[in-house]
Amino acid sequence: MSTKNVIGTSPVRLDAREKVTGKAIFPGDLSMPGMLHMKILFAWRPHARVLRIDTTEARAVPGVVAIFTAQDVPVNEYGLQVKDQPVLCGPGSSIEGGDVVRFVGDQVAAIVAESEQAAAKARDLIRVEYEDLPAVFDPEQAMQADAPLVHPERGMSNICVHYKIRKGDVEAGFKQADVIVEGEYRLPFQEHAYLQPEAGLAYIDEEGRVTIKVAGQWTHVDREQVAHALGLPEEQVRVVYPAIGGAFGGREDMSVQIVLGLAAWKLRRPVKIIWTRQESIIGHGKRHPAVIRVRWGATKEGKLVAAEMNFIGDAGAYMYTTNKVLGNSTIVCTGPYFIPNVKTDVYGVYTNNVPGAAFRGFGAPQSAFAAESQMNKLAEKLNLDPVEIRLRNALRDGDTLSVGTPAPGPVSIVQVIEAAARQAGWKETPQGWQAPPVEQPSEPHLKRGWGFAAGFKNVGFSFGYQENSWARVELHGKSEIERVVAYHAGAEVGQGTHTVMAQMVAEAVGVPFEKVTMVVSDTANMGNPGSASASRMTYMAGNALRGAGLAALEKWHAEERPAIAEYTYLAPKTTPFEKETGYSTPNFCYAYAAQAVEVEVDTETGEVRLLRVIAADDVGQAINPKLAEGQIEGAVVQAQGYAIQENFVTQNGRVLSDQLSTYLIPTILDIPGEIKSVILEVPDPNGPWGARGLGELPYIPLAPAVTGGIHAATGTWVDEIPLIPERVLRSLGKIT
Amino acid sequence: MLPWQIYLRPQTLAEVRQALDSAPKPVLPIAGGTDLLLDLRQGRHAPVQTLVDLTAVAEMTVIELRGEHLFIGAAVPVSRVHSDPLVARHARALTEASALIAGPQVRNVATLGGNVAHALPAADGTIALLALDTQAEIAAISGENRIVPLSQLFLGPGKSAIDKNKEIIVGFYIQVLEASEAFKVSSCFKRIMRPQGVALPIINCAIWLAREGDRIRDIRIAVGPGGPIPFRATKAEAVLRGQTPTNETIERALIALLDQVQFRTSPRRASADYRRHLVGGLFRDVIESAWERAG
Ligand SMILES: Cc1cc2nc3c(=O)[nH]c(=O)nc-3n(C[C@H](O)[C@H](O)[C@H](O)COP(=O)(O)OP(=O)(O)OC[C@H]3O[C@@H](n4cnc5c(N)ncnc54)[C@H](O)[C@@H]3O)c2cc1C
Repeated sequence: MSTKNVIGTSPVRLDAREKVTGKAIFPGDLSMPGMLHMKILFAWRPHARVLRIDTTEARAVPGVVAIFTAQDVPVNEYGLQVKDQPVLCGPGSSIEGGDVVRFVGDQVAAIVAESEQAAAKARDLIRVEYEDLPAVFDPEQAMQADAPLVHPERGMSNICVHYKIRKGDVEAGFKQADVIVEGEYRLPFQEHAYLQPEAGLAYIDEEGRVTIKVAGQWTHVDREQVAHALGLPEEQVRVVYPAIGGAFGGREDMSVQIVLGLAAWKLRRPVKIIWTRQESIIGHGKRHPAVIRVRWGATKEGKLVAAEMNFIGDAGAYMYTTNKVLGNSTIVCTGPYFIPNVKTDVYGVYTNNVPGAAFRGFGAPQSAFAAESQMNKLAEKLNLDPVEIRLRNALRDGDTLSVGTPAPGPVSIVQVIEAAARQAGWKETPQGWQAPPVEQPSEPHLKRGWGFAAGFKNVGFSFGYQENSWARVELHGKSEIERVVAYHAGAEVGQGTHTVMAQMVAEAVGVPFEKVTMVVSDTANMGNPGSASASRMTYMAGNALRGAGLAALEKWHAEERPAIAEYTYLAPKTTPFEKETGYSTPNFCYAYAAQAVEVEVDTETGEVRLLRVIAADDVGQAINPKLAEGQIEGAVVQAQGYAIQENFVTQNGRVLSDQLSTYLIPTILDIPGEIKSVILEVPDPNGPWGARGLGELPYIPLAPAVTGGIHAATGTWVDEIPLIPERVLRSLGKIT
Repeated sequence: MLPWQIYLRPQTLAEVRQALDSAPKPVLPIAGGTDLLLDLRQGRHAPVQTLVDLTAVAEMTVIELRGEHLFIGAAVPVSRVHSDPLVARHARALTEASALIAGPQVRNVATLGGNVAHALPAADGTIALLALDTQAEIAAISGENRIVPLSQLFLGPGKSAIDKNKEIIVGFYIQVLEASEAFKVSSCFKRIMRPQGVALPIINCAIWLAREGDRIRDIRIAVGPGGPIPFRATKAEAVLRGQTPTNETIERALIALLDQVQFRTSPRRASADYRRHLVGGLFRDVIESAWERAG
């Protein structure tokens, strides 16, 4: 494939017209004749044993068809990584510990009725007797030996993840250091706040399968978990994704799937549910809060010699993807830099908070905040420009990561840092890189400054897991290919993946984009696509579809009509952390990012505004440049929410900011004055047409770039986000 | 799941009276619905039988001069209040507040009647109207309409003195004082809030003043949220009345304001400390603008 025809162009998204005209069907829009409605009784308390559930009054409500509790769930457990969560909490559970609620969003009963009103009314009439249990909300307290146990059935500690890195000799490293910077960084929960709250419809299909139409990120693991809980073979369960209103990692773990399946299976009637926004906010996982304590040393030439990290992540009540998320945190907490001596301890700790979950960046944003803030502070101490110090330490091909092996090449962080710096106005001088001058506003209380940060992110889950993705391509026609049908179950969560897939199929088989039809997201007639997360879909689906396309083309040339081929792409092998040292080859691909941000601080109110964001990202190959830009802009805005505005307030495990009127995400009036995307294309040798992953990348550097900008503007470091005005003013010493 | 059963859309005040009187209870008036629908949906307000939509009522959707007053119908959308030249001329603080309530979509339907009747101490429209010494015209199911000072419409946070089952606000009267040889009047509203477009401010302030040469002849100051009901800083007003607004007098007024105001800490929004810090800068800023405008 020497010249590219469809790759690198930006055709109109396949779903654009339907979404813009409101015709696209999202899970909440589905309905079927004879459909029943479900409501969930949530626990609304952080830690308690359910002693009794009295449904007498509730069942008497006219229209109520069934009320399901723990005793009705055949195998009452689920979980993406570890099955540690009851489907419904209460007495009579088939699994030990299934009678305990461990966070406010645990589900106690599923009420099914002829109308939503009847279901809601019955829900409010269920009498539950609880025995409150001692609870723990601070992960550091939860690590203490005498802390209440969240999962006593799983051992005598709340520590559910502990990763170690031991590279070189940190103490010897610190002895070589001319400067040492210590820091403590605190990062908050973040709510996914996707447009579409959890919803779905379940029914028995014409082949007798429990069929669940829902929004998720990975059809086949949803199916596996539903089948497990219902005690059914997987073939008896079908999962279909209609249009999905955003996911950002938050739909990786399940919400409504199992209870819907249970009700449809038992009642043999269609059942639908839509969560309210409040239920959505309390009922699913959040970005992991973290406290990160670090010590980094460098020589006076600005060379890093040692880094020590202690990272404590709040896993909340259940594992969700904590082990995967914190695996990434472990790798990226030293930044995209070569450091000869590293000692890292990363802990995930059970608490009675809302679970920590996958969320765009997957543990990387927390780590990057610590790593990049350290770089900015070292730059200040050494009187070096923040770009200059990064370039002196940036990974080069062959440099070992903290895990003792090099990142698969080509490593493009140097190019990416230089591209961001140049675009922002940095100059390369004989004394090294120099930041652009800043024009200060005439109002003396407004202060401006440039901040800079870099970041990197693995593509895929990996860490020893064999990444795979299935695809089928059909070529129809007589003498020439008239129509191409491609099957792939990968989730279109709004990122445009189906469009990108169609482009890659068109390119592989050599037809125009318009000839390709995508058939998507149904476990009934497709193999496992893998998750639409970890920035992996373009890479994995692209390779799978390319493989299937080329195989079909071969059959086409052998005169098969239609020519049909299936292909399962297996990504290069990886290895898990070696337990005591972390030694591993954890990933097959990384992508690199850098951002420069011009920040304005109002020193009277503490408000922080982003005037300009320059985002440079190496995507390997932009399959669809417009969508790539969309990902960058979206990620920057979401990261701005994380860095500055979104204040997820909890009190003893209860969520106070449980509506979008109290949990304030950025609106069009808040977004940066300008976002400039700088797309680099340094091809990955195994990526489809060189593509790497992009979805999470531009999110990662923003928060530390902003605090770097605040420091440049005011001389003050703020080591905790979100940068709500009060916190900024406190850091400036204006209020106590 | 609709939290109401019947939706009425009367065209005249007489029809409103009749609707409130005879429709199945409980009944509530609705204007833009930007507060009420959220309260109903999120369960902060019990479901109702009937909603009476006020936005088509002729008497409630006009803005006009009536003698010495500017009348603003309670059901006029805030976006119209914002762009109205009479409001700009006689009630600049209200023009400014109307530009800052929520975002464009909400402003196209939200009303001042709803803003006042919702009775929140930081509502932007309410704070501007309070500084403008507004009178409200109230219509009840029976009897004559009455005129009451705006400040009498509030009982506590979210608690209106209006019995919404029986009464509605028809509109607001703001006194028009044309500039004379002796003095000039102006007003100003500002608020502090980011992000914009989705919620009440952390703090806001409206000031109306009459300027006589280099003296403040009269002044009214409102700050939200400065207590359980919309707050007038009467002690600060007393400090400034008759004075030249020097740094020194403004500082004294600020001390009086801080002495009278009751800031509280709302865990989801802002602490009392933060509000006490902010109010100084905001107050100086607003008084300076109002003073210059009246120059
Ligand atoms: C996204 C968003 C952002 C917002 N931002 C702001 C903001 O920045 N500043 C701000 O001040 N407010 C804000 N609000 C709140 C709201 O928009 C305003 O208070 C608005 O003015 C309410 O007017 P409405 O016509 O929508 O009232 P409705 O919701 O229709 O009614 C509110 C209450 O008043 C009653 N009512 C309405 N009209 C009358 C009447 N004429 N007589 C008697 N009772 C009446 C209703 O019965 C109800 O109890 C925001 C709301 C939203 C949804």
